[in-house]
Amino acid sequence: MALPVKGQTKQKIDPSKIAGDIIDDVIVPVPSEVFMVLDKLGQPDWKSELPDIIRSRFTGDRAHVALLLGTVIADGFVAVQAQNSERVKETGREVLRLAAAIGVRESVVRRSKSIIDAADNKDWRGIRSELDKALLEVRTAMQELNDEKLAQLVSLGGWLRGTEVVTSIIEKNYSADRAELLNQPLLIDYFSSQLHSMPPGLEASSFVVSIKSGLKKIRPLIGDGNDVISKESVIKIHEITSELVVSILATEE
Amino acid sequence: MRVGNKTLLFFLIWFATLVGGKYVGATVNDSLSFALEAAVDYVKNGFTVREDYWGGDLGKNEQKVIPQQLFRGLEYWFWVGTDTDGSKVSVHIYDKDGKLVDSESFQKTRYSGARVIPKRTGTYYVIVTVESAKEERSSWGLAYGYR
Repeated sequence: MALPVKGQTKQKIDPSKIAGDIIDDVIVPVPSEVFMVLDKLGQPDWKSELPDIIRSRFTGDRAHVALLLGTVIADGFVAVQAQNSERVKETGREVLRLAAAIGVRESVVRRSKSIIDAADNKDWRGIRSELDKALLEVRTAMQELNDEKLAQLVSLGGWLRGTEVVTSIIEKNYSADRAELLNQPLLIDYFSSQLHSMPPGLEASSFVVSIKSGLKKIRPLIGDGNDVISKESVIKIHEITSELVVSILATEE
Repeated sequence: MRVGNKTLLFFLIWFATLVGGKYVGATVNDSLSFALEAAVDYVKNGFTVREDYWGGDLGKNEQKVIPQQLFRGLEYWFWVGTDTDGSKVSVHIYDKDGKLVDSESFQKTRYSGARVIPKRTGTYYVIVTVESAKEERSSWGLAYGYR
């Protein structure tokens, strides 16, 4: 990618000349960025956003485990907001269990302990930082195992659970300002493009197929970034993401 | 630089070396160390530096465009560094319509930075440019922080 520079900062660029070929380089925000914004939206009832699920069930589908990992880490952020240290500790243990299932346990052993220690100390800000690091370490370990696509599913799982929670909160106290938080067309396009370039083993996963379809439905509800996202759209996005998250998180008997 | 800052910088660089972003190599890590040096004072002022980094190399006047989701309500600083002697790199932020949205920026010998306070939540473009260079290719490393 090369744009001409004449020694001065350009005041304007043409996005149409740069948008098409750079989708693989998108910076996906870490969950703590989103939750930092949510901090500024008042004090919603975070406790009601925490499901009763304690342990998730998984099969040999690696795509499923990766999605679960992201979902569970996002749940840890919700537990922080709800100041539920027991749920945070459960998150730490669950991250370890899922990481083991996918072959990256060693990379998160220490992080899991740090999460549990921070929960014991009710160090909420510290827990957020540890959860961000857990997400990064899991992804990095997967990349080192040449599982880049699997790593992207971890991010996607976190995004789905995060969006489910955010839409629930916005829906309960709707305003156009709050709904603007969902103006994320770049991320939806990015995740969609990643799902469409999954290797055959992952592409066949029923979870991947369902999420592809879900993102396709969500995309028009977000618009192109210029319009207000309506309450009806927020509700629809919540329904779609909830359905996907429920399919990812299935309780053990 | 005070001892406290040096300690912080050491840990930031150590972490970058340990787990860095997708393009991290030896010279990129050195470039990142300059970007993180620029970040130190901002950390003291409440910015959280994301522990994930981006980097690579570019020719003179070449640019790297990185799309990013930014959120209204947060304040961001982006820092880019280079370890290539005689090179200057810059970073600037543009909105989805291609308009420059830096609210502040600076340029030093080894690093530069740009601040943005998004007026809207949405898509932005982070653009890294090699402004001047003596070598054919210049290494760069990018980090960002938010509060």
